[in-house]
Amino acid sequence: MKMKKFINAQENLTKELLEGFVAANSDLVSLKPGYMVVNNALADAHRVTIVTQGGSGHEPAISGFVGEGMVDVSVVGDVFAAPGPQACVDAIKLADKGKGVLYVVLNHAGDMLTGNRTMKEVEKLKLDVRKIVTQEDIANAPRENADDRRGLVGCIPTYKIAGAAAAEGKSLEEVAAIAQRFVDNMATLAVAVRGATHPATGQALADLSDDEMEVGMGQHGEGGGGRMPMKSADETAAIMVDALLKDLSIKPGEKILLILNGAGATTLMELFIIYRKCLEILAERKVEVVANYIGELLTVQEQAGFQMFMARMDYELLRLWNAPCRTPYLTK
Amino acid sequence: MHIDKTVLTGMLARTAALWRDHMDDLTDIDSRFGDGDHGVTIGKIADVLDRCAAEWDDDIAGFMTRLAEAVMAVPGGSAAPLYGTFLEGLAEAVPPGVAAIDAPALTAMLASALNNLRTITKAKIGDKTMMDAIIPAVQAAESTAGESVEAVLASAAAAADGGAAATAGFPAKFGRARSYGDATLGTPDVGALSAAMMFRGLREGLPA
Repeated sequence: MKMKKFINAQENLTKELLEGFVAANSDLVSLKPGYMVVNNALADAHRVTIVTQGGSGHEPAISGFVGEGMVDVSVVGDVFAAPGPQACVDAIKLADKGKGVLYVVLNHAGDMLTGNRTMKEVEKLKLDVRKIVTQEDIANAPRENADDRRGLVGCIPTYKIAGAAAAEGKSLEEVAAIAQRFVDNMATLAVAVRGATHPATGQALADLSDDEMEVGMGQHGEGGGGRMPMKSADETAAIMVDALLKDLSIKPGEKILLILNGAGATTLMELFIIYRKCLEILAERKVEVVANYIGELLTVQEQAGFQMFMARMDYELLRLWNAPCRTPYLTK
Repeated sequence: MHIDKTVLTGMLARTAALWRDHMDDLTDIDSRFGDGDHGVTIGKIADVLDRCAAEWDDDIAGFMTRLAEAVMAVPGGSAAPLYGTFLEGLAEAVPPGVAAIDAPALTAMLASALNNLRTITKAKIGDKTMMDAIIPAVQAAESTAGESVEAVLASAAAAADGGAAATAGFPAKFGRARSYGDATLGTPDVGALSAAMMFRGLREGLPA
């Protein structure tokens, strides 16, 4: 099937999207060689800084969250592909303001390879870097086997929490400990009802028939095993909320952050209908939603579906979530 | 036989040629379950091998270190950091100033390369990755370390070929191919194939 996307030459996708993105947000971010998107305020930062990496094609993730209070440098790879380690080492060198760098890596094979390689290099350079891995997809591995869990939308709130902790002047050790506490208490489950097309290869990212949906699909169309007949918003919300509560062992009286992240072609209308049911179920379970985000943070091209993210919150994490930030796609 | 600058240059040239000859095959296989860029990346790495060999003006350790850095810097895909890390491991086992490598030293280099890879990937035999070729190759080399350079590389190349062929029998556990699970049965892993080609190239590049 012919791809119906507004693109030019496929080999220029990442370059052209970054040029447009940075031009549209030139007050906040700049583009540096190596496809680094850099926080304009980084030059004046005297604090721990935040570096991350990831493939393009998930806009506004990841670079949409570069700016004060979140990410200082995002290293962008080609569509759905990790950047190389050299660019990440360069990004960490650029970001380091003498207080250390928190380096956030999503758990995908290519990203982990780049992450591990980058850490080897920065250790040789004796830079003060702590790596945090986001791995919260509950679909494809049990919690005990977190190394096999994919990193989904959870990287975005992790940037928010870590960026706010860094902005408060906390040490690298403290920022890393807070970020680790957050990622250890987060979980995501995705559902897809219609696949997308890889914009560079034209490959179908998933093949779902008109009357089915897949719970647990990853953000590159990877299977999650949970294919089932299409369900209503309320039924879908119930399946997903229960799975996340169970995975996190959330007890009555606990507080959570709930994010509904549209995959690209699911409407806000649908997300709000789902959210309403989530709140109803959570109220029954006596779980309090103390913060939320409903919208698109990390997309999968024109995939229809969404990721439901849940994190156990304490007073400090909630304060950091609500702290000011100024980035192209999240401002508080 | 010892591996000196002339011999090593021939080994790398043969590896680069083999890789370049098979770029299209590698791309075809990678397109089934991966992102289809392995052949192109391998071609770029082959170019780096040739270019670095042409610019060689140092001892073996210095040359290998620069080669590893140049491969690591190749953009696109996981192959460059993986092969770069393999080469870096080889380089780390060569003391500065050494001008010729015998069978035990070659085996130590291969063991060092495998150890270095293990610091960046957890893939084991059966996970359908390049490690399926590299792990048996290094084990085979170690079992023939007391013999000649030719014997070490011949046994490593044969074991790597066997390991790569065996990947057709495993479902993918790493990378994008993992989502295809059992559908990957019957297709060998493209990284294991290119790794086996490397060992074959190193063997075939030895002077007759």
